[in-house]
Amino acid sequence: MVNIFRRTGTFLFLAMAAMPSLAQDVGFQASVDRNPVGIGEEIKLSFILTNAGTGGGSNLKLPDLSKFRVLSGPNQSTSMQFINGSMSSSVTYSYVVQAKETGKLAIGSATIDVGGKTLRSAPLTLEVVKGAAQPKSQAASADPSGQIGENVFLRATVSKTHVIQGEQLNVTFKLYTRLSVMNYAVEKTPTMTGFWGEEVETPKDIQLTNETINGKQFRVGVIKRMALFPTQSGTLEISPMVVQTQVQVPAPRSADPFDAFFRDPFGRTTNYAAKSEPVKIVVDPLPSGAPPDFKGAVGEFAMGTTLDKKTTRSNEPVSLKVTVSGTGNVKLLEAPAIELPADFEQYSPKVSDNINRQGDRISGSKTFEYLLIPRYPGMKAVKPITFSYFDLGKREYVRLRSPEIELNVEQGNAQAPTVANGLSREDVRLLTQDIRFIKVRPTTFSRQGDYLYNSGVFVFLLFLPIAGFAGALVYTRSRRAALSDIAGYRNRRASRIARKRLKTAEKLLHETSSKAGGSVPAGVRFFSEVAGALWQYLGDKLAIPQAEFSVDGATKALSSKGVPPALVQALRAQLENCDMVRFAPTSIDRPAMQRSYDEARRIIVELERTLNI
Amino acid sequence: MKQAILLLLILGLPSVLLAQSPEELFAKGNEAYQQGNLPQAIELYTSIVRNGYTNGDLYYNLGNAYYRSGNTAQAILNYERALRLMPEDDDLRHNLQIASLMVVDKIEATPKLFLWEWWDAARNSFSLDTATWLAYGCFVALITALAVVLIGRTGTLRLAGLWTAGVGFFLLILFLLVFLSRVSDIRRTDEAVVTTALATIKNSPDDKSSDAFVLHAGVKVQMTDRVETWIKIRIADGKVGWMEAGGLEMI
Repeated sequence: MVNIFRRTGTFLFLAMAAMPSLAQDVGFQASVDRNPVGIGEEIKLSFILTNAGTGGGSNLKLPDLSKFRVLSGPNQSTSMQFINGSMSSSVTYSYVVQAKETGKLAIGSATIDVGGKTLRSAPLTLEVVKGAAQPKSQAASADPSGQIGENVFLRATVSKTHVIQGEQLNVTFKLYTRLSVMNYAVEKTPTMTGFWGEEVETPKDIQLTNETINGKQFRVGVIKRMALFPTQSGTLEISPMVVQTQVQVPAPRSADPFDAFFRDPFGRTTNYAAKSEPVKIVVDPLPSGAPPDFKGAVGEFAMGTTLDKKTTRSNEPVSLKVTVSGTGNVKLLEAPAIELPADFEQYSPKVSDNINRQGDRISGSKTFEYLLIPRYPGMKAVKPITFSYFDLGKREYVRLRSPEIELNVEQGNAQAPTVANGLSREDVRLLTQDIRFIKVRPTTFSRQGDYLYNSGVFVFLLFLPIAGFAGALVYTRSRRAALSDIAGYRNRRASRIARKRLKTAEKLLHETSSKAGGSVPAGVRFFSEVAGALWQYLGDKLAIPQAEFSVDGATKALSSKGVPPALVQALRAQLENCDMVRFAPTSIDRPAMQRSYDEARRIIVELERTLNI
Repeated sequence: MKQAILLLLILGLPSVLLAQSPEELFAKGNEAYQQGNLPQAIELYTSIVRNGYTNGDLYYNLGNAYYRSGNTAQAILNYERALRLMPEDDDLRHNLQIASLMVVDKIEATPKLFLWEWWDAARNSFSLDTATWLAYGCFVALITALAVVLIGRTGTLRLAGLWTAGVGFFLLILFLLVFLSRVSDIRRTDEAVVTTALATIKNSPDDKSSDAFVLHAGVKVQMTDRVETWIKIRIADGKVGWMEAGGLEMI
């Protein structure tokens, strides 16, 4: 069959070539389907060779298209017209391109060889503007005639279009083809805002099935399957998926025998972007009346709890595992709250899940492992753990309830080994300890921002030692000033003492002077009074009883106390003089008494000075 | 008449709370804590703070109450507040360490020079008031010794005074440094604790900025800058980022 075509074609071509038909000029020109265009828009760039015969040219060289992305091409098409007996023909080489940048983009000359001559197209300038972004339609892009789009397309099919929030729906992206698809690659994965998606496992090799649509048989391959769980209500959209395919396009069976004749009957390979239509899903909100512990679980679940040991010691951790298993949005399950006795410590649970992605329904289990540390011994009970979900079959909320979990805590030692992850040795040591008790000691409160250092009392206290220091200095200075006058003070004191001692002697002296000539007995009494005063003074000063006193003893004692010898001598002379006068009263006269008085006074003053240092 | 009494009761209730002395409120809070009524204990303790009174023990007990009710961030915040008032307290350090275990983020602090470690250990063994008293004592000793040097009667007394003055001066400088560092600690306003369960730290003060890292409740941070509602923070290991002010509470 094919061979017949080819032979016939060749024959016809020879017949055509013999015709005198090369009247018109051969031309080569470039054109775009529109100008200006938006960035990202698909543009058809055509190079048209006219009147070069149906064979077209050869060695087509494209201008520099680095500022464009070539989506498909070259697509070659030929047309022939007979008008008034003359034939005009054109061969079009078209490309679908996309501008990469905005601005005026120059498209240079393309060249083609026709019958030994090289033809050159005129350059073009294409204005690319921002905006109008999306390609209009996939069908119009690489497939100007709509030929591929009819035969290769991508469809998103959903198992349900009306679901309740959290209910699973499946979306399947299938590639339908009646042509042979050499290769495909996912260019754009669909986005599913408002859904939590779980990819359902699909076989590595695409298994093709047959399906009939509008009486045409298609081969169908599943590209992607996903299980979706809406996480919000409203109308949600599954955005299109784009798959780049390499399609082998057979030569069109044109009514024109010439056309069919010259085309490669095996077709050509074309890149074609298959794009699915967006799908809208209506999501109803969950009914009201959810239990307080409902956290969005929808499906059908069962719950189990296990405690790793029934008996433990205080400060030793136990692990409580809560496993929720079933079908539904397993991955979105949240940890159920557990209510512990007050003296338990709880760490955030370790979560692990195991999800089965095979089959139509997502199922699996999620395990929450709580690390609990009892602080005090005794029989402890963890209150029943509850877990609520919305049952899709019954269309109502179901609340699961575990039995009460009992734990016997024995008195443990503080250094008990512990098992905890991600904690240092120091942390592990601390894990076995509880916080210390509150402070109940009596305390005083201060106003916010009031401290000792900025209180008035403290400022006063600060000045206290300074004031004390200054006071001490002033006091010692005045005391020193007084002490520097010590000589005069001693003199004054010594003469006061001497006058006191010689008081009686002085009185006798005055009596003698008032009675002119004087009397003997008064003179004798005067001298014995002077001697007595001297002896008494010496006795007091040297702390010796008067009776035990002799002149020799007294002088010796005074000398040993450092009294100058001249003074000791004078004292001795005075004492002897007084004794002598008492036994020879005739020699007593007023001047002798005066001399004796002055001398005794002088001796006492001097002694007072030397002995008191 | 009945209504009047009722009105009096309603109006009178808060003023009763206000009229109580902080010591009474504290005792009541302690009682509530011991009976296990943690929300009431927290309310009573915080009412003392609201009335404008502070005390290291108060923040310590409040931290304990928050810890027992499972609020680690608030517990750490109050322990840190107590730490400023009584850094020398052993129980406080212990509890703060335990509470820090509950924080999800384990942040390794950048190591300090050993000299600084010594200095920290030394200054942390004195509260502000203790440091104040010690500095004051040294000051009095110094002044007394100087007075002895100036007015002492004998040479040995004066020499002893000179030595005492030298030692007193050295200790005075030391305790003054401790005192000043404590004052600056109490007055610093750049430390905070993350109180939201999860805070995303951005690279710049902007919602659209890229995420730098994530912090959980209870982490202590240093605030270094502020742009509108965004606060630039630095954590102990030196990482820096911006977070919303709402997720932080100043110590």
